[in-house]
Order: sequence, then C-alpha cells, then structure tokens
Amino acid sequence: MAAEKKVILVTGGSGLVGKGLQHVVEQDKRADETWVFLSSKEANLTSLEDTRAVFAKYKPTHVIHLAAMVGGLYRNLKYNLDFFRNNSAINDNVLSTSHETGVKKVVSSLSTCIFPNKTTYPIDETMIHNGPPHSSNFGYSHAKRMIDVLNQGYHTQHGCNFTSVIPTNVYGAFDNYNLEDGHVLPGLIHKVYMAKKEGTPLTVWGTGKPLRQFIYSHDLARLMIWVMRDYNEISPIILSVGEEEEVSIKEAAMAVVEAMDFKGEVIFDTTRADGQIKKTASNAKLRRYLPDFKFTPMKEAIKESCDWFVANYDTCRK
Amino acid sequence: MAAEKKVILVTGGSGLVGKGLQHVVEQDKRADETWVFLSSKEADLTKQDETQAIFEKHRPTHVIHLAAKVGGLYKNLNSNLDFFRDNMAINDNVLNTSYKTGVRKVISCLSTCIFPDKTTFPVDETMIHNGAPHQSNYGYAYAKRMLDVQSRAYHAQHGRNFTSVVPTNVYGPHDNFNLEDGHVLPGLMHKVYMAKKEGSPLTVWGTGKPLRQFIFSRDLAKLIIWVMREYEEADPIILSVGEEDEVTVKDAALAVAEAMNFKGEVIFDTTKSDGQTKKTASIVKLRRYLPNFKFTPMKEGT
Repeated sequence: MAAEKKVILVTGGSGLVGKGLQHVVEQDKRADETWVFLSSKEANLTSLEDTRAVFAKYKPTHVIHLAAMVGGLYRNLKYNLDFFRNNSAINDNVLSTSHETGVKKVVSSLSTCIFPNKTTYPIDETMIHNGPPHSSNFGYSHAKRMIDVLNQGYHTQHGCNFTSVIPTNVYGAFDNYNLEDGHVLPGLIHKVYMAKKEGTPLTVWGTGKPLRQFIYSHDLARLMIWVMRDYNEISPIILSVGEEEEVSIKEAAMAVVEAMDFKGEVIFDTTRADGQIKKTASNAKLRRYLPDFKFTPMKEAIKESCDWFVANYDTCRK
Repeated sequence: MAAEKKVILVTGGSGLVGKGLQHVVEQDKRADETWVFLSSKEADLTKQDETQAIFEKHRPTHVIHLAAKVGGLYKNLNSNLDFFRDNMAINDNVLNTSYKTGVRKVISCLSTCIFPDKTTFPVDETMIHNGAPHQSNYGYAYAKRMLDVQSRAYHAQHGRNFTSVVPTNVYGPHDNFNLEDGHVLPGLMHKVYMAKKEGSPLTVWGTGKPLRQFIFSRDLAKLIIWVMREYEEADPIILSVGEEDEVTVKDAALAVAEAMNFKGEVIFDTTKSDGQTKKTASIVKLRRYLPNFKFTPMKEGT
C-alpha cells in the first residue's frame, strides 16, 4: 500500500492513554504520520459546532477517540444521567463528524467496566451486550456500549471503518492519582508515597483478594497504534495481558511497596468494599493476531510509574 | 391529591396509538386535563430548537412520548444507523426539554421487538437488556432501550417521574395498512378487503403458526392513561393481553375474514418468512396493579 500521509487526531490526548501514545509515537516516528493530541481545553466535544471546527482545523484522516466524561464510583453514582448524555453527545459528534469529513478510520475506547454485571468468565468481545451493566455506572456503560452500535451502523450503512478497543486496568505516568476519583494502582502509588512521607502504615482498602489484569499505558499505546494501522474488523478487540497474568490487589500493593522501597506496615481495611472480585477478560482474539507481542514485565512498568509519580508529585493530577 | 390542571402533550399524536388516546379521552373528559396531540407536521423533534419551541407553546405538565422514526423490515435493514440516530435525537430532545421545563411525568413507548433475540419465554420487564436484539432492527431497538436507560437516569439523578410502557402487537383504526411497511393485523385487513373486491383468495404470508398477543389500540390507550395518572415506577411496564390470549396468525386471519364477511379461500404462502415464532410477554406486573382490567374481546376489536 502506498504510504499516503496520515493525520491522526487523538481526542482525550492529554490523559493517561493519550500520554502513553505520545510517548510511543516519539520513539517510533514515521514520515507518513502526523499526530495531533487534543485536550478538552481546545474543544468541547459535547458541542457539534466545536467538534466540526476542530476537525476542520486539523483535517484528520484517522481518529483515536479516547475523550470521555469519566469519574470514580461516587461521581458515577450521583450523575448517571450526565455520564450518559455527555458521553452520548461526545461519541455521536466525533463519529458523525468523522463520517462527514471522510475520516478513513476511527478507533474508540471502551472499557471492561461496561460488561454485564452478571456474567461467566473470562469475558470476551462477544459478550458486551449480554446483560445490564453494574447499576453504579449504568449511564457511562450504556453510552460506551452504544459506540459499538454506532460503529456497526456506520459500517453497514456507509461502509465506514469505525472500530473499538477494550482495555482492562490501565496504569502509567500522567494518571489521575486522586484518592477519591482515581483507580486502584495510581491510588496505591499515591498512598505509599504519603505513608513513606508521614511514617505511617500503608492502608489498602478491602481484603486485597480481588483480581485484576493490569496493562501498562505504553503497551496499550503500542497495541492501539497496531489497531489503527492494521486491525480491520468493526467488532471490538480486548487489549490486555492474558488471564494467567491476573494479579490480586494485594500482589499489586506489594509490587508498589517494593518499587518505592517502603519499609512500613501494610494493613488491609476490610471495612471498605472490594468492588468486583474478578473481571477476567480473555485476550485470545489479540493473541490470534499478535501471538508474539511482549508486554512490559509488571515489576518494570510499576517501577517506571512510581518513579514518574515521585518526580512529578507537585504537578500531577491528584 | 388536589386536582391541579394537567396539560398532556402527546408526541406522535396522529398515529395508531395517538388516535386511540384521542378516542378514549373524548369519552372520558376530565375538567383538570387538557390534551394536546402533536404531529410531525407541527414540529421536527429531531431538532432541539423545534422541540423547545413546541414545549414553550403548549407548556405541558405531562408528556406521552409516542413519536419515533418507525418502519417495516426492509426499511430497518438498510438504515439501522439512521433509525438509531434519529430516534436517539428525538428521545433526547423530548426528555431533556421535559426535564428543563419542569414536566412532572413523561411516559415513553417501547416495543416488544426490542427485547433480546435469544431469550426464554415469557419475556418480562427485567429482561430488556439481557442480550443483543434481532439483527434486522438493532438501530431502532437500541435507541428504544436507551429510552429506558434515560428514564431511570432522570429518576436517579433528578428525582423525575419518567417511565416507559411496552405494548405488544397493537391494532385498531388509523393504523398503517401498507402491505410492505405495516404490521400483521392491518396487513390482513387490507388484504381481505382487496381479496373481496377482486374476488381472489386471501393469501397469508408464512405458515400462520407464529403466535402473537394483540392489544386493541383503545385498550392500550386506557392503560397508558392509567400509567399517566397512577403508575409511579421508573421501571417499564408491559401493556398487553395475557399469555393465555396469545393467538396464531392463522386465527387472527380467520377473525379478520369473519369480521369482514369474506367467503373466499384462505391460502398460506409458506415461501414467505414467518418472522419470530413467538414473542410471548408476561403481564404479571400489570395484573398486580390492575387485576380486573377487561380487554375488548378480539372479535369485537377486529
């Protein structure tokens, strides 16, 4: 195929995954690719007018669509309507404008938290719509699921090449380290930092038993770039380490403790909720395409993430 | 409760169900209720500003939201994207404008065709999201399902009394009798009329074996009005005759033939597809609320 120039617009480009993409793209510059990382400061994607303006400005040929209204458990619980409406608006604006302007490919980002609450394991790409999502974030979840519905519709009706990826728990530099709103690994990193600083024990919320598959943002970025360049299905694809790499929260906590050289006591506050015990996702589909893809070993990736946090404590999101 | 004045706006008010409501409301006029029946000629509800304008004009306190982009099998097959996006736009505009203007209650209309394709029977209200809908009309189906999501979200976030109803196969005057695009009962009525006129046999598509629950538009209207006045849940409610009143398409065809005094031959064209063999819906929830509601006998309704 001739190397036609690509202009790749990344919505939500200043977040955890966007920064991962920026990092990988810097290391693997290609002459035929221009990357544009958009942040919400530049365009409010809930507005069709703003979306069209930003597309007219950059004229993308490809879009990696990461932008969304996101939040932790408590925010979702309180604002299910807003999570549904704002994300539905963002998604419809980005996809319809992509279609109108002849964008060749859109890769949107779903999430394992949108899967049916009652399910068998491991979950796979065919199971997304097989039951209601967890009630705490049903607004967010349904809006994300509708991206898959839109992708199918655009393909059947207009031949568009719009697809989606489903990462499991992502971590890395530039995360959201807020203890209320953030996710488990950045939360642990922040807590170990504070425990070291104040000479207190590390308190991990819950029993430590729940299991998670963690994917380093740099690995996710490399896989998303592969999807953008070479994955041609409309159906979604799970991007994750395998089931055998699932670790408990306790193991994740101990990995952070080791990386940050924390010598204090580790306590488990079992009065706090554990959340889902498992969310095991199958990466069989990914492995059919990329049997040899090597994920960064978790010890190394956690060390890099912790080092980044310590070096950037003053300016990072918390 | 004090009889505060109600202004009830019915979107899609000129269709089959809207006309059923008009009929029932004429027979049961209440001093505290003003009814406004909207048609698409008056406002394009896919447009936010037109929706806003119509709400400002009529200032409804209640909304019965029937308006939708609908169509038969072939139209859906080719335009799933448009069916999804147009209905999402209409629904968001109506619900959001209702919320912003302080509408007390919105009753939206779902459909049994939005249920999961692979399912056990009877279907009930808890099963709507339990799997992908039939592939032929997934755009329409998902947009309707999102009406349930939004109704519950307006309730959870803002305490609004937004809810939805799920009718089974509706029939009655002012239906769409188009043979390509319409549904089974009006299709049969139209065919019997033509067969009588032309002295030809009545050809029923399929084997006649599929089972359906048919609800007369005037009965549906009475139930929707009851939901508007008394039903307080955000979760949907199925409005239908019971499972025991399920009839075959063959029985429905013969009921129409008898009602129209058709004396000719009835043929079943088994080369045509049957569609779903059954879609049996449970009315246990409705019967908990209204154990004594009497449906118009089908013979009379047809």
